[in-house]
Amino acid sequence: MAVIDLLIGALILLTVGAAVTALLAKWRAVCGYVAFLFVAVASVWVGVAAFHVLSTGSPLSGAPVLTIAPLNSSLVFTVDGLSAVFLLITSLVAVCATLFSVRYMLVYKHHSLIRYYPILLLFFASVISVVSVRNMLFFLVFWEFMTLASYVLVVFETDNPEARRAGLQYFIATHIASGCILLATILLYTYAPVKSFEFGALLEGTRVLMTTSPALVHLILGLFVIGFATKAGILPFGFWLPQAHPVAPSPFSAVLSGCMVKLGVYGLLVVFTSLTPLSHFTTVWGVWLAALGTISVFVASLTALQQTDSKRLLAFSTIGQMGYIWLGIGTGLALLRISPAVAVVALMAGLFHVVNHACFKSLLFLNAGAALYRTGTRDMDKAGGLMRIMPVTAAAAIVGSLAIAGVPGLNGFASKWLIFTSGIVGGLEIPLFVFLVVVAIFISAVTLAYYMKFVGILFLGKLHVGPEVERREVPVSMVVPQVFMGILCVAFGVLPMLALKYLYVAASGILPPGYSPPFASLFGNSALAVRLGLSGVHSAAWGPLAILVAFAGCLVLGYLISRMGGAQTREVPMWLCGEEHDFAEVRYPAHSFLLTFNEYFAKLYPSIPVPRLPRPAAILRLFDIDRWFYSPGLRWGERIIRAISATHAGYPQLYMLWMIVGAALAVIVLFSMGGGL
Amino acid sequence: MTFAINLGLALLIGPLLAGIVRKVVRARVHSRQGPPITQPFYDLLKLLGKEDLQSVPSLVVQYAPLVAFASVLVAALLTPMGMRAPLGQYGDMIVFAYFVTIAAVAVVMTGLACASPYSMIGAGREIMMHLVVEPVLIICLITAAIKAGSLLMWDMAAWNYLNGPAPSMVVTAVVLFLALQAQVGKLPFDIPEADQEIMGGPFIELSGPKLAMFQWAFFARQVVYASVLAVIFIPWGLGFAFPWNVGAHLLKVIVLIVLVGVIDVVNPRLRIDQAMSYFFWVIFVAIVAMALALIGV
Repeated sequence: MAVIDLLIGALILLTVGAAVTALLAKWRAVCGYVAFLFVAVASVWVGVAAFHVLSTGSPLSGAPVLTIAPLNSSLVFTVDGLSAVFLLITSLVAVCATLFSVRYMLVYKHHSLIRYYPILLLFFASVISVVSVRNMLFFLVFWEFMTLASYVLVVFETDNPEARRAGLQYFIATHIASGCILLATILLYTYAPVKSFEFGALLEGTRVLMTTSPALVHLILGLFVIGFATKAGILPFGFWLPQAHPVAPSPFSAVLSGCMVKLGVYGLLVVFTSLTPLSHFTTVWGVWLAALGTISVFVASLTALQQTDSKRLLAFSTIGQMGYIWLGIGTGLALLRISPAVAVVALMAGLFHVVNHACFKSLLFLNAGAALYRTGTRDMDKAGGLMRIMPVTAAAAIVGSLAIAGVPGLNGFASKWLIFTSGIVGGLEIPLFVFLVVVAIFISAVTLAYYMKFVGILFLGKLHVGPEVERREVPVSMVVPQVFMGILCVAFGVLPMLALKYLYVAASGILPPGYSPPFASLFGNSALAVRLGLSGVHSAAWGPLAILVAFAGCLVLGYLISRMGGAQTREVPMWLCGEEHDFAEVRYPAHSFLLTFNEYFAKLYPSIPVPRLPRPAAILRLFDIDRWFYSPGLRWGERIIRAISATHAGYPQLYMLWMIVGAALAVIVLFSMGGGL
Repeated sequence: MTFAINLGLALLIGPLLAGIVRKVVRARVHSRQGPPITQPFYDLLKLLGKEDLQSVPSLVVQYAPLVAFASVLVAALLTPMGMRAPLGQYGDMIVFAYFVTIAAVAVVMTGLACASPYSMIGAGREIMMHLVVEPVLIICLITAAIKAGSLLMWDMAAWNYLNGPAPSMVVTAVVLFLALQAQVGKLPFDIPEADQEIMGGPFIELSGPKLAMFQWAFFARQVVYASVLAVIFIPWGLGFAFPWNVGAHLLKVIVLIVLVGVIDVVNPRLRIDQAMSYFFWVIFVAIVAMALALIGV
């Protein structure tokens, strides 16, 4: 059996699993465990296939599963280095989120799980398919599957109007995005010399267009960027993300952030490496991507500072972290023609952050989910100090927060360090990058601030929950995924070279052969320390192990010194300067934590003079998308659905008629497309 | 050997400098005798033997002082103090910047875990100050990195010694000095601790050895921050033979800390919003200096 068959087997397994869980949906706990079993086995298979590609360095390709001759397209499952990275992320997040779901979904007593597990399994299957095809037609089909499945899961809480509204916004936003991608694809297809949707054929189309009409190439690339930026949650296109993440069930929020938004990055890399030849277009768009990423980093992180809803805070943080990824990838693409060494490092930095973000952001959503499971509220003003009752969850949340904030020794630091370093060195060629890096570094301190708020208010400090809350840790099946993700955060942090070795295979695989400098010349020979030697003179170093050993030594020294005096400990009440206060009276609430800083930034906004417009009411209405777009869309959608449901009167004869008419139509379409076969 | 020099400078010279500032600067300005210059050591020793009062049984409060102490020492090991840093091959300026951030995080975590309203206010202020002061350090170091073409701190110092002083580096040195006051937590920027209004802020619930560890970490931190400014941006004495290069470095550090002490004594505390407006200007000037470096000035 070839290795690629494992991938196809996993897809079949997930589809079968969807059917089985649909049948078992009544037995809620059993259904969850069965779903977990299917996902676990499928993930192991996918993981083995992906790891095989990364360790051998040669792509896997199977036989055509399906061929559409009139469009010159066939469905072939292919795994190259880049898709292997995304496959590994997907399988990792899938296992953890499904295991977490088992107990978590029991909370929804009045919702049928037939709308959760089967759809979740189909969602994973479509994500795996999206990254393992090299044909734009099937890419789009699976992309659409993925979008629809994720929509159903986002609106799982159908009785919650907030969820319905967010879901609708998500649905419309992502479909406009899909429309952009589709339009760009069709444009490329029409200009391709060989009419086919294979990536290679479309690449030739771009090459032709570059000489004949460069403006059109910019339009096409712009459409792709809008499409994938919407999926990736990059501002200003990712406005759906902070609405949709909080209302989805927590394990699926973890999947959304940990896995689905990453596919925007995958799509982007495919467009700029497989659909566009290396040219000045890559450079120009690389700069744009880096700038867009930095805008997202800046705006989203400052907005996150002001959130008191835990999951909303995490959603804004996702936008911010995706911004870091785009900064890295944009730097890489922009410098590809100018200085390949820096470019490869920047691309790898972006990919490394993709992997790391998948680990810690799904971890943090699971933490927030565990807190929500226990306390029933997402509002950090209403619950806090959970470390007293949930020590393991709190410990995992601390690891996750420190990792995402980029504390050295954890994985977030390793990838951010690479992004910053490549940005600074790249700034010697294109000075703009230095300024982007300065903004990004500043924001990494902001990230730290709002994660201090997240951990500090929600987990540390005095216990502050309602009387109805059960005072114990969440069940084991919810603890295990959190601990597992936490361990990964530490492992990639301490041994970054472990991950970099495989990411190098992925990054050099998407570039022209022989283009990227050898691994050892970029990252040094030591397995324990990353020593960047970029074009000989530039150097930077990060040796986590040596630094951590020194840190541990200093900790021991500090411990010995602090025990030197043999000080006794004694329990005392908190000192409030002699005044007697009820604790609730003097509790420092979440919203006032960074008040001065927030006010300072708020002051920056109104200082921009806005010209008075003659009819402000009309202008305001124009910006109220809900009013003229979503709500009418909803009403029309309802009307159409009513009309359709009227045709389903329940008479078998009527259905027979529909089937005959449908079959006739299908035959006509097939004949006309196949030229009469 | 370099390990011993860097740790020694941080752990022993740090408290001694604080003593010198108290005796020579503050007492003189107040027209009084002042304590002996070894007084900080007596304070630390006394605190180490004192009772450790616990109001909140929290692991964070237990270990945050040690984390702050250790991270400042690691930062000291990453800083070249007159000669190559002992861990210079394992960490560059970004690693350094993050390690000094850890010390700030430890303070914030302590403040949050104590859950006293005073400590919470102090923790919030500590974060806000960090948000505006840390970028200054990073921008200044990036400016030096651009000039030197390397992110390793020793390379930057060596470049400035051999090729300096460039105009952008001089502006950067001034900017970094303006930030030094807040980095070492002295008036007018000791807003997070603010003894007279929020009773030491994050440290209100700490006593005995825990307070001693935090204080010692902050004494050491003075030396670390002053060393960065001295070694990279004041290019003098790096080429001396062994004991003299460290001696020259020590001299520069003493001068800087005494200057900081003078400013500390003659200034009242700013409010947090005033401090932030001030630092936004400092950041602006730092960015201008960086732009100068980028165009090769």
